Amino acid sequence: MEFPTDPNLIVGMDSMDDAGVYKITDDIAIIQTVDFFTPIVDDPYWFGQIAAANALSDVYAMGGIPKTAMNIVAFPIKEMDISILRKIIQGGLDKMKEADVVLVGGHSVEDKELKYGLSVTGFVHPDRILTKKNLTIGDRLILTKPLGTGIVNTAIKGGLASREVIKFVTHLMAALNRDAAQIMEGFSVHACTDITGFGLIGHVAEMVVGSDFGIGLWSEKIPIIPEAFDYAAMGLVPAGAYKNREFRECMVDISPSVKQAVLDILYDPQTSGGLLICVDTKSADDLLIRLKNKGMDAAIIGEVLSKPKRRIVIK
Amino acid sequence: MREIDARGLACPAPVLQTKAAIEEANPNVIKVIIDNEASRQNVCRFLESRNYETSVQEEGSDFHVTGKRKEGVSPEVSIDEKTRTDVKRIMVMLATDRMGFGDDELGLKLMISYIRTLKEMGSELWRLVFVNNGVKLTIKGSEVLPVLQAYEKDGLHIMVCGTCLTHFDLLDEKQVGETTNMLDIVTAMQLADKVINI
Repeated sequence: MEFPTDPNLIVGMDSMDDAGVYKITDDIAIIQTVDFFTPIVDDPYWFGQIAAANALSDVYAMGGIPKTAMNIVAFPIKEMDISILRKIIQGGLDKMKEADVVLVGGHSVEDKELKYGLSVTGFVHPDRILTKKNLTIGDRLILTKPLGTGIVNTAIKGGLASREVIKFVTHLMAALNRDAAQIMEGFSVHACTDITGFGLIGHVAEMVVGSDFGIGLWSEKIPIIPEAFDYAAMGLVPAGAYKNREFRECMVDISPSVKQAVLDILYDPQTSGGLLICVDTKSADDLLIRLKNKGMDAAIIGEVLSKPKRRIVIK
Repeated sequence: MREIDARGLACPAPVLQTKAAIEEANPNVIKVIIDNEASRQNVCRFLESRNYETSVQEEGSDFHVTGKRKEGVSPEVSIDEKTRTDVKRIMVMLATDRMGFGDDELGLKLMISYIRTLKEMGSELWRLVFVNNGVKLTIKGSEVLPVLQAYEKDGLHIMVCGTCLTHFDLLDEKQVGETTNMLDIVTAMQLADKVINI
């Protein structure tokens, strides 16, 4: 498909980035993104929060600040009580308030399947946009939330997750990536993305495709929700994880010591996952301490390698 | 032999049906028919986690997964048993490096003895959290440092308050445990079955 071009379009359809960026003046560019999905937790209020946090995350991942948002709602009004929708929207609204984002409107349609999400607009200085490019050899990769939400959500669907795990993962998915985005502003960050449906490996793959370097991941350092190991071993792996693996395994070299359950988790599609921050090696430790002091289960999980080019090496 | 037709079902339904069948009838051989790759791998993985040997036959667009119970393995052994968390979770929070008030020298002696003796709680000891003056037990030169390091090596989760370390300017001196924050401490308290404050 051929897309219209515009000299002020900085990030558009041709890139694999999280949102579109359009320059308005030399100092201001707008970031636009949209995301919505079907419920992943039973509690409507928390589902609203998670869907909003997930949609806002794309703006944070690009180095921007979200400002306005619109609700997107699909609701089976004939079968479901309207109070459920109210709770979802309240959850979304509370998350927007937390993020200092104003709700300016929205649109709803009747649908058999409930869906909720946001269209978000944010601002960024055109020189400070973070994409999946501009990595430098030796850079460190920092992940700001533990992995495994897709597998845990599958266990929740199957009624096999404990209440503690459900609560933990719900709070984790509802947590904004705002703090991480604010903290990384003070460091020499070269690239950034948020981990969502393609899983950690899928998003790392997007960083190395078409580049001149590779990425090494240190599997033992990657923060993982502990229960996800047991659920993966039990076969509670979502179909999306297998699709992610099928699509990307041709780019991945895996050391024999890496366990199958860990690999499942690295391919596991995340909902409202953390930021993957690519930072200058000298600043990595300081940035990590700042993130951890803010309460994040963050870790330095890998590095940018000179070779093998365009491949992911997992140790 | 038990047979399950789970065609047309998406994950995790085939695994749940297989799980239910095993729990209900405990068969020596079980066959599960599914029609997608993700379910094939998940059902195989599940059966293997329950000590079944698996083989897969492709029939048209379907997969026939056969699980045979491995010999010499007691049917009772299952992953649920191994991962069940019915062990009580005790969290011990130390807000001081001395035990009790009065004589500081005695207080320190008692604290050292307390930390050494904590291991008697066995696997029920779940989290050890250091806040305020307690963080001084985790730094270079602390008499209980080797004890704490040994606990950590054995898998005990030790959490040390980051705000407190920063307050005392000890962030670089900490030798054991993970630097933590109030949210983690509050969450741990909520998850614990018992919290002991010293």
